Amino acid sequence: MRVVQVKCPRCQQPIYSKVKDLAFYCQHCRTMHIRNGGTNIIDFDIAEFSPNARGDRVYMPFWRLFSSFTINQANVAGGTFHKLSRMIKGTANGGNLFIYVPAWETAVDEFKRWSMGMTEGQPMYSLRQDFNNVERGPTAITKEEAMQLADFVVVTMEAERPGTLQYLDYSLQVHDARLVYLPFVRGAQGLVSGL
Amino acid sequence: MAISVGLNCPACGGAIQVAEGDNVLNCGYCGSLLWAEGDAGVMTVAYRNVQGRDSVLRATEQWWRKGWKARDLREKGKLLECYPIYLPFWSTTTRVAGWICGYEERRHTDREGNVRTERIPMEEMVLNDYRYTSIACDPGDLGIRYLRNVGGEASFADFESIPTFESTTSKDEMIATSKQRALEEARGDANVPHITFERVIAIPKGISRIYYPVWVVRYSYGERMYMATVDGVTGNVLSGRAPGDPLYQSLAVTAGTSIGGLIAAGGLAFGLGAGEGLLALIGLVVGGAVLALTYRFFRHGSEIVEGDFEGKAADMRGKLMKEARRTFRGFHT
Ligand SMILES: [Zn+2]
Ligand SMILES: [Zn+2]
Repeated sequence: MRVVQVKCPRCQQPIYSKVKDLAFYCQHCRTMHIRNGGTNIIDFDIAEFSPNARGDRVYMPFWRLFSSFTINQANVAGGTFHKLSRMIKGTANGGNLFIYVPAWETAVDEFKRWSMGMTEGQPMYSLRQDFNNVERGPTAITKEEAMQLADFVVVTMEAERPGTLQYLDYSLQVHDARLVYLPFVRGAQGLVSGL
Repeated sequence: MAISVGLNCPACGGAIQVAEGDNVLNCGYCGSLLWAEGDAGVMTVAYRNVQGRDSVLRATEQWWRKGWKARDLREKGKLLECYPIYLPFWSTTTRVAGWICGYEERRHTDREGNVRTERIPMEEMVLNDYRYTSIACDPGDLGIRYLRNVGGEASFADFESIPTFESTTSKDEMIATSKQRALEEARGDANVPHITFERVIAIPKGISRIYYPVWVVRYSYGERMYMATVDGVTGNVLSGRAPGDPLYQSLAVTAGTSIGGLIAAGGLAFGLGAGEGLLALIGLVVGGAVLALTYRFFRHGSEIVEGDFEGKAADMRGKLMKEARRTFRGFHT
């Protein structure tokens, strides 16, 4: 086994961190890279905090999966699909959505809360170029894992209405995953969205 | 499980801590972020052997005194060999995510004695990580299949001086079996008595190779050869074969046979006396079962076998896997 120092693949500066983070961010040239077999530079988003978000600010990473879905079942209207059907416009039987998968190591409830919350809410945000010295939560879920969790997020969303799960008939395709840093404020009850 | 490896920070030379399964490391001295790369993407760690010949022999002698082993083993047992080896194990983490649906049945009896069965629908979410280990080479006659200890210090320091068994079993196969087991266990954890539908996936989160020190002790008793293996980290006996004690055995066989016979006979007599064929049948079955157990226990002849040996594997697997799981759960949560 070999241990190497993590360096930015663009500017070759070493990366320092006190936490184990799978997303390596270079402070010098603002390059983010991940390692899965090779070294891959990735695109990422940093969302702007709402001016009202006061307190202990922190950026938490999400894998935002650009996905499309098709509802195969004929009787959709007001029927089996609860959340997905709301995202359909007009007479189409499918559509696109961003599925948000928390990329940090979450407890079950936290995973459920933030994957549901963000995917249902489809947040709108403006982008920033840097983290503005706000703390960044470490990424623990790989892109591949996140993509495999897409279906679970959709099913869990629909599962809020009991008795529907076995009748769900749809197909889901994940086209792309992007690491997105969303703003949060640490509260007494855990994280609160800072959007 | 923070364990130090005989590796140094490539930036500052400080000793670094590595946890099995974690590719990202932090240097505690200079703050560098480090990346551990295994061969062909598999991270490899080795545990430090902390046992010596003396402690291993002491553990073996204590083990001889336990159970129904020959009482004169300490006097008549002759040590032939005692040496350490490194055995390779696979260690996997698998995440299961999904929903398991079905129902639970509850029986209600009303005043007239009519039984009504109520089906209570259940929808259970599962999101859990499962860890498994399995030996990564042919264990031969060692009686070791799983790694149950996950604590201890890892080191490559003495790695060169102890013979190492190469891993021969396939990594992909281990990932596949881990997925299968994790799904089965998740179904158990969901606790839905009657499953009608499920939508679950098993995601392999990581696989690493662990070299674990094991001491092999070979000894003879009379004409026959026996062996034991001792954990090089904890010093506990992992597996072994030992001569059984003839007295204990004859006592047990006699007791087993008599009890089995008595139950059978008692059931027969009582059953027939009461004019109830069913009771007699139950007596016979229970009596027969006791006899079968007695026979099974001693079918290895005068040998006591502990550990996970081929042939015995079928009986032992369930038990061992459960133990292994418990260990990992405890560690994980
Ligand atoms: Zn850079
Ligand atoms: Zn260092």
